[in-house]
Amino acid sequence: MGRSAATKDAHALFHSLRSAYAATPNNLKIIDLYILFAVATAVIQVAYMAIVGSFPFNSFLSGVLSCVGTAVLAVSLRIQVNKDNKEFKDLPPERAFADFVLCNLVLHLVIINFLG
Amino acid sequence: MAAPKFAFLLLNLISILPLLVSSFSVDRPTDRRILVLLDDLSLKSSHSLFFSSLKSRGFDLDFKLADDPAIAVKRYGQYMYDGLILLSPSTERFGGSLDVEGVLDFVDSGHDLIVAADANASDLIRNIAAECGVDFDEDPSAVVVDHSSYAVSETEGDHTLIAADDFIQSDVILGNKKIEAPVLFKGIGHSLNPANSMVLKALSASPSSYSTNPSSKLSSQPPSLYGTAISLVSVVQARNAARIMISGSLDMFSNRLFRAGVQKSGSLNKYEKSGNEQFITELSKWIFHERGHLKAVNLRHNKVGESEEPSMYRINDDLEFSVEIFEWSGSSWVPHVSKDVQVQFYMMSPYVLKTLSTNGKGLYHTSFKVPDVYGVFQFKVEYQKLGYTSLSLSKQIPVRPFKHNEYERFITTAFPYYGASFSMGNYVDVSTKYMIELQMAGFFIFSGVYLYNK
Repeated sequence: MGRSAATKDAHALFHSLRSAYAATPNNLKIIDLYILFAVATAVIQVAYMAIVGSFPFNSFLSGVLSCVGTAVLAVSLRIQVNKDNKEFKDLPPERAFADFVLCNLVLHLVIINFLG
Repeated sequence: MAAPKFAFLLLNLISILPLLVSSFSVDRPTDRRILVLLDDLSLKSSHSLFFSSLKSRGFDLDFKLADDPAIAVKRYGQYMYDGLILLSPSTERFGGSLDVEGVLDFVDSGHDLIVAADANASDLIRNIAAECGVDFDEDPSAVVVDHSSYAVSETEGDHTLIAADDFIQSDVILGNKKIEAPVLFKGIGHSLNPANSMVLKALSASPSSYSTNPSSKLSSQPPSLYGTAISLVSVVQARNAARIMISGSLDMFSNRLFRAGVQKSGSLNKYEKSGNEQFITELSKWIFHERGHLKAVNLRHNKVGESEEPSMYRINDDLEFSVEIFEWSGSSWVPHVSKDVQVQFYMMSPYVLKTLSTNGKGLYHTSFKVPDVYGVFQFKVEYQKLGYTSLSLSKQIPVRPFKHNEYERFITTAFPYYGASFSMGNYVDVSTKYMIELQMAGFFIFSGVYLYNK
């Protein structure tokens, strides 16, 4: 009896999360998709390293760091752009995006240097 | 051989690392002065054929009675003889300053030794032989008896005179010519210490022989030495190239047996002359370094295409290696030709092991690729062939890894990482610095145009 109650609760939880997420604005959903893509790419690279070995270790680190770095920057962008966030009420979203682009530029400058 | 060539060889010899070579003058390894210790001066005449063959080959023989108080092999720390022949089986103590230790030191310093024992061998001779890895039968009255391989003779019927023809298979030790007639042997037998890897049987007894006292009744226990475990003549080649011959019979060297005809029991072949003279002569040539003495010179290595020896290699370099090996022919150094000299590129274990090819004139060479591991390696040539002196050469060389600008520009295994960072928005490529310069130039031009435009 307890088990079916637990699964029913899990189902209910899942559905409520899904419907709440459907309510988020589209621009945030795009950023979320980008973050997912970045993390997935990082995971693929780690799996590849586990198979092939870490020979050009600098390239591995550089590749993983580029994915993780853009994911982190995208997360900050999402925080700044989210209209429900009181802290960044006065920040124009274009400014946030410009910051995102410039930080990415610096990140990728470092990445390309370390890629070897 | 002209003197300049000798000097050239000597100079090259100095320029290489540890090289095990005989203790005599490096460019003439054959012994010259030999001390012969006898029990009885009549041996000089009864064994004169043996001694005269040695003298005719250029040796200086110094005959002394074994208990002569003037015997000294060493004076002021220098050895006065290059070889020692002990034909004194019944001597209990040598005269002068020579004893078991003295004989062993003599051999340890690279000199050669011939020892002959007999039916009355004293403890002194037995001890010397035991130190060389040869164990005579403990029973002092035992001799080797063979009831199916004895020499047919009218006078002796107790089968203690054996006709042996089980020789060691080695052209270096016994010469190119096959010894047709069996060798006559009358004396005691010995066995080889199984732990010793340097002692070899030059002449072994037939499977039907055994060691016993011929005049007493056979005991109920089987004899301790029998069959092919009995060695009649053994040779030892030490690691410092000293050569030792130990024979269980003094009569084997005598004129009587040199000249005797021999017919082995059970065979119809009757030989006019026994094989003793040929066997003893050829074996003494090997013992006194007239044959089978090698030297290696000129161990060189260089990168393919260069001629200088570098002080360091890089991984995956191509290199060439060469060494020259010569053999002493008794009067000069001739090239040694062999198909099985190998070189190892060694660091704790051989990473590369290659057989060297020869040009027939003593030059052995090969080329290979340095392995993908860095560290301090050695070129090692370890050559140990039956009957030849062993060569143990090594030369150390460090191997470094790639410098960071010696890798390929784009490493194949890293393409996924390149692709991942490209997909993340990294569109800056290799020519970044050119783009940056272009940008800066564009910026200056733009500012100039903008500022100075009316």
